[in-house]
Amino acid sequence: MTPSTRDRTTGWLMVFPALTFVTVFSLYPAMDSFLLSLYSEFPGSERSFIGFGNYAELFRDPVAHQAFIVTLGFVLLSTTLELLLGTGIALVIHERFKGRGWTRAAVLIPWAIPTVVAAQMWRFLLNDQYGAVNAILFGDQVDAYVPWLADPWMAFGAIVLADVWKTSSFAGLLILAGLQVIPDETYDAARIDGATAWQRFWHITFPLLKPALLTALLFRTIDAFRAFDLVFVMTQGGPGDATQVIQFYGYKTLFTEGRVGYGTTISVTVFVALAILSLFYVRTVGSKLLQREPA
Amino acid sequence: MNGLHVSSIAAHSPLRHLSPWAAGFFAAALLCSVPLTHGQDLPAERPDSPPITLHFVTWKADHPQAWNEAIRRFEKAHPRIRVKREIAPHSSTAYHDLLTQKLRNRDVSLDLFFLDVIWPAEFAAAGWALPLDEYFPQNEREKFLPATISSGVYRHRIYGVPSRIDSGMLYYRKDLLGKYGFSPPSTWNALVHQAQTILQGERIAQPLLRGYSGQFKQYEGLVCDMLEFVGSHNGSFLTEDGRRSNLTAPESTQAVRFVREQIIQRLATPAALTYQEPESLAVFVQGKTVFHRNWPYAWGLANDPRHSKIVGKVGVTPLPRFSGGKSTSALGGWLYGISAYSPHPDEAWAFIEFMTNPEMQKHFAIHASLAPSRLALYADPEVLRANPQYKNLLPVFQTARPRPRTPVYPIVSHILQRYFSRVLAFPETDIIEEAHEADRKINRFLALMRDARE
Repeated sequence: MTPSTRDRTTGWLMVFPALTFVTVFSLYPAMDSFLLSLYSEFPGSERSFIGFGNYAELFRDPVAHQAFIVTLGFVLLSTTLELLLGTGIALVIHERFKGRGWTRAAVLIPWAIPTVVAAQMWRFLLNDQYGAVNAILFGDQVDAYVPWLADPWMAFGAIVLADVWKTSSFAGLLILAGLQVIPDETYDAARIDGATAWQRFWHITFPLLKPALLTALLFRTIDAFRAFDLVFVMTQGGPGDATQVIQFYGYKTLFTEGRVGYGTTISVTVFVALAILSLFYVRTVGSKLLQREPA
Repeated sequence: MNGLHVSSIAAHSPLRHLSPWAAGFFAAALLCSVPLTHGQDLPAERPDSPPITLHFVTWKADHPQAWNEAIRRFEKAHPRIRVKREIAPHSSTAYHDLLTQKLRNRDVSLDLFFLDVIWPAEFAAAGWALPLDEYFPQNEREKFLPATISSGVYRHRIYGVPSRIDSGMLYYRKDLLGKYGFSPPSTWNALVHQAQTILQGERIAQPLLRGYSGQFKQYEGLVCDMLEFVGSHNGSFLTEDGRRSNLTAPESTQAVRFVREQIIQRLATPAALTYQEPESLAVFVQGKTVFHRNWPYAWGLANDPRHSKIVGKVGVTPLPRFSGGKSTSALGGWLYGISAYSPHPDEAWAFIEFMTNPEMQKHFAIHASLAPSRLALYADPEVLRANPQYKNLLPVFQTARPRPRTPVYPIVSHILQRYFSRVLAFPETDIIEEAHEADRKINRFLALMRDARE
């Protein structure tokens, strides 16, 4: 059955607004960024076309390498912790208990706070002189107070912690949606067959939850890859570039140093990396999971 | 054009055929559009000219009342000019990023801004700042401290008028030094010795007392603090001609090693690696450190009972030097600049002229502890009564050392920040190796810059 010309025209007309929107707000900026990344530009000098020169430089730039490694570490660590905690949160707020509505709302508060505000809060909490973290851990033993953000490794841990605190509940929300579509009868049947709580989780909940977990994983990976505001507020990339994630490095080169071409190159590279990652998730892992009939 | 009156429009234009209501409407519309398009033709001082609004991008001031008062006085003296302030972030780098973004977009709704002393080269090379040579003649410039004037000059043209001078200085606890019979240290080694003696003596009474607080976070302030150590050991960031990095010279690396081993690891706490000016000053005014490096503004806060527990116990002196070196103080401060895209450069100049005149600088010196950029004010009795320390510090202001002057300064600064922060935060790093890496990068960008311009 082939659609008539009229149907085709109607079809095109209907998608036209959406297509225009995507072209103007997504496609054009992305293409324009790509073009910008092919030029070399210094403050005060004419910009010149250098082809893939900026990409070649990025490939050799040790600061960029370090930033990529820091970003990867951040993504792996924060995403893993967020999915674990998110699953925990989802399982708890899925149960029926008194005050569930309030608990659900409370769990979402960290996620509802703007990242910049949350980051500032963490900076205060971790302050070596008046921070609540030191006060709670050491109380009056003022000489034991730790300057958390002064040590490269602890500063990195602090960024991960702040991100986990803030977005676990978002992962939890996505996973909760997955939990809610699992029919209760499946559990009833399993209970009649004598399955333990762990068996019910491992053989029913977990397999049926995979699509939701995958969605949460996808969202959190992409978000963690783009982390910027936490670093900007909490550490400015320091000490010694130990918390400089790739987006913050891109910001510094583009906005502070005025190297428009190189800064855009970093953005485009992150964009391409994320596109590949998303395609990989959706194509290989996703399609299998999403198409499988519930057992 | 500004002198047109409503009546003349109505009499000589097609509008006379319209009803009085419509004519009134059109005339009103015309009048509203006048200030936007014809502001620059005539000075806004003429009583029949329409008011002009100057847009001034400034930062959140430490002493907002002093600024409100200053702007109120300007508007009173120039009733047809209004000043609208847009408050940008206080951090120099964040302010820079916001400002340069507006300028890159040739924003015409921006007339006035502050230039940090490290920016004129960049702003001049990019064509963002209006050259002020015609407004700001030589004989006027001579009344300012020379270091502040030269910070506004790039390739023989001047782009900024100094609002004040900032330079690093050493604050110390008069009471503690007196108790142990010390006079303020003139060398870094003496500072270490004094601090350790005092810490040893006070370890029972004040176990949390530390020797030194300064600015060692990875940001622009780190570059200033390190410039002072390196400079006072006869080192420098760039070679004399400014064409190459000089970071690998032994004078420079030895000074960096001293900071790592004596200052960070012995006198300060590792927390210093997270301190900008406010945090490091907080430690000092709470009485938790013997020595403190900061800019002139700290004097007022350290002697303000609302902020400080050490009122009256504070001394200030030039920064120490290494034996064989010269005390070096980083030059900081802010210049007034006019956007190259401003439609009202004359009125913007009137504002700058007013804000930097002797009377207003005196106002800022007394009410905001901002050290004047005009030399004559250092002999003014009222200024000296509010700031007795200026008498001893004038030589410091006169010899303050600028950071490298190049249009690629933001890049050079990032390389320096990374280098210094790495060697201070990772004690196992090889300073010489890190210096070579920073050195190579700086040389590369300076060369690229020259290739692009020559």
